Amino acid sequence: MKKKYRNPIGVKNYTGLLLIMPFIAGFMLFTAYPFISSFLLGLTDYNGIRTADFIGFDNYRRMFTDSGFLNAAGVTLKYTAILVPLKLIFSLIIALVLNMQIKGMGVYRTVFYIPSILGSNLAVVIMWQFLFTSDGLANQLLDMVGLAPVSWYGDTSAAMGIIILLRLWEFGSTMIIFLNALRDIPREYYEAAKVDGCGKIRGFFAITLPLLKNVIFLNLVLQVIAAMQEFNAPYMITGGGPLKSTYTLGMLIYDEMFSYHDMGYANAVSWVMFVLIALIVGIMTKLTGRGRADL
Amino acid sequence: MKKTAVYILLTLCGLVMIYPLLWLVGASFKSNDEIFSTVWFIPKSLDFSVYKRAWQTVTDYTMGHYFFNTFAIIIPKTFFAVISTVLTAYGFARFDFPLKRLFYALFMGTMFMPAIVTIMPMYLMWSRLGVLDTYIPLTIPALFAAEGSFVFMMIQFFKGVPKEFDEAARIDGCNSMQILVHILVPCLRPVIVSVCVFSFLWTMNDFLTPLIMISSVEKYPLSLILRLSADSTGNGYEQCKILAMSVIGLIPSIAVFGLAQKKFLSGITAGGLSG
Amino acid sequence: MKKLILITAALGCLSSLSSCNGRKSQVTAPDGKLDKCTLRFSWWGGDDRHEATLEAIELWNEQHPDITIVPEYGGWDGWTEKVTAQLSGGTEPDIMQINYDWLISFSPDGKGFYDLSQLSDRIDLTQFDNEVLQFGKVDGILNGITVSVSGRGLFYNSDTYKRLGAEYPETWTELTALGEKFSAEGLYPLDLDAQSGGTAWYLALVYVQQQTGRQFITLDGQLGFTEADIKTALDFYKTLEDKQVIRTVDIRTDEDGTAALYQSPEFISGRIGGVLEWGSSVGKYEMSLSEGVLEAGPMLSDENGNNSGWMIKPSLLYTISANTQYPDEAAEFLDFILNDGEAAKVLGTSRGIPASHSAEKSLEENGLLTGLAKENDELLEELDTVTISPYMELAQMKTFYNNAIEQVSFNAVSTEEAAREMYVSINEYLERIKK
Repeated sequence: MKKKYRNPIGVKNYTGLLLIMPFIAGFMLFTAYPFISSFLLGLTDYNGIRTADFIGFDNYRRMFTDSGFLNAAGVTLKYTAILVPLKLIFSLIIALVLNMQIKGMGVYRTVFYIPSILGSNLAVVIMWQFLFTSDGLANQLLDMVGLAPVSWYGDTSAAMGIIILLRLWEFGSTMIIFLNALRDIPREYYEAAKVDGCGKIRGFFAITLPLLKNVIFLNLVLQVIAAMQEFNAPYMITGGGPLKSTYTLGMLIYDEMFSYHDMGYANAVSWVMFVLIALIVGIMTKLTGRGRADL
Repeated sequence: MKKTAVYILLTLCGLVMIYPLLWLVGASFKSNDEIFSTVWFIPKSLDFSVYKRAWQTVTDYTMGHYFFNTFAIIIPKTFFAVISTVLTAYGFARFDFPLKRLFYALFMGTMFMPAIVTIMPMYLMWSRLGVLDTYIPLTIPALFAAEGSFVFMMIQFFKGVPKEFDEAARIDGCNSMQILVHILVPCLRPVIVSVCVFSFLWTMNDFLTPLIMISSVEKYPLSLILRLSADSTGNGYEQCKILAMSVIGLIPSIAVFGLAQKKFLSGITAGGLSG
Repeated sequence: MKKLILITAALGCLSSLSSCNGRKSQVTAPDGKLDKCTLRFSWWGGDDRHEATLEAIELWNEQHPDITIVPEYGGWDGWTEKVTAQLSGGTEPDIMQINYDWLISFSPDGKGFYDLSQLSDRIDLTQFDNEVLQFGKVDGILNGITVSVSGRGLFYNSDTYKRLGAEYPETWTELTALGEKFSAEGLYPLDLDAQSGGTAWYLALVYVQQQTGRQFITLDGQLGFTEADIKTALDFYKTLEDKQVIRTVDIRTDEDGTAALYQSPEFISGRIGGVLEWGSSVGKYEMSLSEGVLEAGPMLSDENGNNSGWMIKPSLLYTISANTQYPDEAAEFLDFILNDGEAAKVLGTSRGIPASHSAEKSLEENGLLTGLAKENDELLEELDTVTISPYMELAQMKTFYNNAIEQVSFNAVSTEEAAREMYVSINEYLERIKK
């Protein structure tokens, strides 16, 4: 029996298959082999040099008793849960402002993207030190409004805060995706709403948000993946400290792989991370009712 | 009145965004101790010879040579990425086909695995193909929709264009390829520009992959040259020269972004939805 | 059926992964003559090292038109990853600059690199003290040749000390006593860090080694300290913090973030009066201060003048790839870069003070041996030093020390608990990697 495919009349069922050929070929060539070998390495005690011994699921069992892993998993989830919503909201607000049709907006758009271009430039690291060390600008501001200074780098939750702040500050890519979508919303919609006596705020919730649902989902997924795999920001800013409070799974995998040469364990942890991300994205897909819509 | 308020607010925020860059430029004229002891960006003295030394690099070539190398990677890579991304996204967004769910799941899966895990097996694979120390490992994967986030992004924007567009064109006798080229690509031009810009900027900053795949100094891209002189394990280094190099290295990125940003908004303004 | 194919494919993957680690390939034996060839030589470093080494290679290429050396170099960032990939792919350069602990990470059985003793008629090994040659041996096989020997020493900001009228401490007691005088002015006589530098644990363990005569980690990778020894070391560290000889981890991270001490405004301004640093890399601290301000201080001893327990290690080694096609030629070049007088003049101290007698002599004659590195070298030579075990240098081990120091500093655990955890973890780890 032949399955029904929902294609327009006259479109062959394999057209889509042909179109995604680059992906299929790439998957076979570049992805399948690393994935399989990574999974298999996760079942061994390979250290990069000696012949690997098969040790079954020992690496996975080890994770449950490894306080370092459990801590890193907790840190990563917490980081993701705080950063992603903040970043989405922040980027959307800036995108709305930068979408206004006023003179010189191009310069501002470029300026606002500069943090993302700087990325992990040394200047950013040093700047954060000037901002958040004990007599840094942040504490001087707190002092001005009569608040006690904070040990930004030394306090476990504050340290997480300054990393989140760094990533919030580098909001450019998320913002651009929103800008791309905002331009698709015709101004006449708002004008019509205005005639109906609908204010700016209501207009935003009634018109803008619903029309942005695809891109919100897109940014949500991309940011969740990026946050779950986070390595660079804590590596640069806090080195994972204090007391491992900013030590993410990404850092753990990196250390196990290249510092401690425990390839087996590093690969096993990567697969757990893989499953975690898949779960989160899966749940988000279900909750937004997109299970079918994406296909 | 309201406009002035917007400008003031934007300028203030903009200052926060751009200050590290100003500081970076200023610091490239500072001595090591001055760099680390003040947040103020204006240097005590201006000595442009540091830029001359930075441009010369310690290698046999100037930074110009490494810019050239970087572009020799970025241009084909970005070109490949756009083509493969658009085709793959078009297939996923507009067509139904056998095993679609499976392929879509596999595709999403490629985004979930941290890149660091695949880099060693990739190295061994390229090594066996005998193409290490060439730009093939850096560019060819882009031909195969290797950057999952681009495809995923493109799919979402394809869905923003109403299917009625395609149907109308099909009735006019367009085939699937013609619909893509004449109808959808023009609608999605801003998004395609975004993909180009992301591809450019990310490749510009990419460091670990070229470091591992390229061994000849003369083939290094700029990102490797920028770190060539920084040795935290040794006897210290001339910080200002490294900062000067990174200032020079940032120029193309900022220029490319500045030129491209107009395109994020303009294009065929009507987009999908007003049609 | 499909399943079977999948499993077969998977097994193929695995076997190819474990077999292509370069170790199975045939080792080329020396053939006693020098052929025309091109050799790859890799190192990491900063500008001064790059410049000096490139110049030395030019010198070689002029003298040996048949054997061309192609340099491959970069910064330290990511270099371990690069070398890891190369060694597991068997694509590493013919001659490499390596770190001490890489000997055991990459060549645990001594077969990961070329057996250099086979090339002793090319490389003049008599230029090296026997003790120094031992550094490069794994399982009795000579895998690496020490470029320079280095140990940590104490360096002080002379301005700060003069201002307070303080003397550089000679004993541990004197050091501890300095805290009071300095803290009254809001200053610190010394600072140690628990980050990648790991100087905090280093000083504490020298203290215990001097007291007990036991070596923390033995050369063959056994934990030489008892649990009580570890506790003594951690207690000593805690005392330094309590007496305000050094900043607590909390205060340091609050004041400096994660900046290295030589980039810290507190050090640059002279508020931090001293550092514990390798003689071979104290230059970056020197550069952060005005010229001549940083001075080498005495190596600390106990009340009876016992100044043992201080340590040395090879700061860098050269090695030849086990896969090289041209061992003779590579060895000839190695001899040049290690022992040749002219090459030494060009290379200077870009890799520390040369361990090779002929190279050192050449530098001495040309007046190129001066400064803190030399002073530190002389101070250490007067002592009965302990050789650092390569196992002590492993990244995972450093994580154990830093975790313990950090937890003790934050009062997250008692020194007793931290000592127990460290003792157990180190034993477990050493056992695991040596299996």
